[in-house]
Amino acid sequence: MAAGITNRVRELRAAAGSMTQQELAEAVGVSRQTIIAIEQGRYAPSLAVALGIARAFDRPVEEIFGLAD
Amino acid sequence: MNDLSFHEKSTWGTLVALIAIAVLYTLEVLDVSRAGAMHAGTVTGLMIGYTVLLVVVLVVYHLVLALAERPADEDERDRLIGWRAGNIGGLVLGFGVFGVIGHVLIGGMLGDARLLTPPAIANLLLLALFLATVVELSIKLYHYRRGI
Repeated sequence: MAAGITNRVRELRAAAGSMTQQELAEAVGVSRQTIIAIEQGRYAPSLAVALGIARAFDRPVEEIFGLAD
Repeated sequence: MNDLSFHEKSTWGTLVALIAIAVLYTLEVLDVSRAGAMHAGTVTGLMIGYTVLLVVVLVVYHLVLALAERPADEDERDRLIGWRAGNIGGLVLGFGVFGVIGHVLIGGMLGDARLLTPPAIANLLLLALFLATVVELSIKLYHYRRGI
């Protein structure tokens, strides 16, 4: 888990219906591989990217990202 | 390969090309050395020739890569990985250069002239640069796969 950060990106993307990793990547301005790394917990994004993901899902950032116990 | 980003593929290609051309260069330098023709002019020619070869190989590789998929701008993860790998590569280069300086100074004190010729020193510095670049590219690939 990157820097003890958990996230629900994969879960929310699935809940958003047909949103692909590529679509989310384009909405946030990162590569698809970066979205994959975030979903797999291999990369903790910057605040700007985390806020971009929150905006893409129309959710508060703390609902998507959290600290691991 | 589809799971790899443009930058990760670029890093792989650069690492493989660099190692392959370094092996060819080393074999040729060893041949020249065995033939007793290790002069500054010869080594300069080899270094320029193999550097041009490396540049041509990398340009062709990246052209093919760019035709296969649209080159992507670096994002924050690419930059973070680049910075971390660059820091460690810089350290390796620094140690290498200091190693060569020590080699020159100690060799000078001991009076062993064989490894103190300009071609030998140039090759040792080139080795330091090669090792630093290989370490940098390898660390990039490690972070691309294992996370950062």
